[in-house]
Amino acid sequence: MTLAMLSLDDSSTMDDCRPKRRSDVSIREVDGDTIVLDRGAEQIHRLNSTASFIWHRCDGQYTIRDIADDLAGSFDVGPTAAKEAVVTAVRQLDQLGLLDPIPG
Amino acid sequence: MQVIQLRVLERRIHIHCQEPVSQALVTAAYGAMQQRSDVMDLDYIVGRDGVPPAFFIRRAGRGLAATPDDGTFLALLDEDIAIELQKLRADLYFLHAAVLKRSDTAVMLVTHSGGGKSTLSWALLHHGFRFLSDELGPVDLEKLEVHPFPRALALKAAPPMAYPLPPKTVRTSRTLHVTAADIPGRVIQSPVPLSNAFFLTWRPDAPAPSVRRLSTGEAAARFYANALNPLAHAGEGLDGAIRLATRLRCFELTTAELTPTCALLATTIERSL
Repeated sequence: MTLAMLSLDDSSTMDDCRPKRRSDVSIREVDGDTIVLDRGAEQIHRLNSTASFIWHRCDGQYTIRDIADDLAGSFDVGPTAAKEAVVTAVRQLDQLGLLDPIPG
Repeated sequence: MQVIQLRVLERRIHIHCQEPVSQALVTAAYGAMQQRSDVMDLDYIVGRDGVPPAFFIRRAGRGLAATPDDGTFLALLDEDIAIELQKLRADLYFLHAAVLKRSDTAVMLVTHSGGGKSTLSWALLHHGFRFLSDELGPVDLEKLEVHPFPRALALKAAPPMAYPLPPKTVRTSRTLHVTAADIPGRVIQSPVPLSNAFFLTWRPDAPAPSVRRLSTGEAAARFYANALNPLAHAGEGLDGAIRLATRLRCFELTTAELTPTCALLATTIERSL
């Protein structure tokens, strides 16, 4: 299953997802950005500071709710905007093939 | 048989030309690199034979290509020389870039093939820039210097009238080749310290050119995407891209008409110094 298959309206399902970034990509931190090299797909990605914040918490332990709470606590955003930002970013990371498939 | 002896990136190439048509094409493309030497690192035989006649390329006695088309012949030879030089100079970080000198430093125009490097280079050469390369940017990451690769400037289409082609431009089926002898100013023959990189977005119909400073991360990703031999370097080439992005002033340049684009690029360089 991919995150794209999950409806944003199904908030409980989304909230409890524990996205996990792929371990076989190369990563570098550069001035607050994260560079992700996916040699398998022959693609390179530059994540801005917000996307980097979310990416680093995609370790299979944090839920989307946890990440949104952290984001709201670290940036000047409300809980609703934080959750939307996390869901959007995680979906994009998933569509780029940078996350492991969600179990089940 | 005529042997054209080249020296480029401190390596020596011998190209044995078996007939005059291929010899003229090779001389037009690589004439600026000619230097006599008894030793060689790469050895080609090129010529044209058969009925109907087809160009052929052999390296170290092995047939590489045969084509009836002069443009394809030169493109295949270019490609093989570029790949072999990457093997011979794996210490250098090769970028898909045109390289020009301004004052005492080098400027790279980075983009994919067909992205406007040569056309913009041709225009800039009429505004005081000097020529190192219009296709390959071989960078010494330690010294942050770029080596010249003064193959003839190769345009895919005739430039605007403000920058006319010289009468001796060599025309093949694919490309217009401006030989080093016809390039305005002096062709640079030694490595030059790098200062700026411009990643081109080619939009000749845009109302005005624009320039945007890139973050280090964005520049690093773009350098990597235009690297030809990243896997020959540490960290799968990522560290080299980051080093370049960290040390150079990097911009995205969206082109428009060539003359204002040249002016914007020159002004951007002067302001960044």
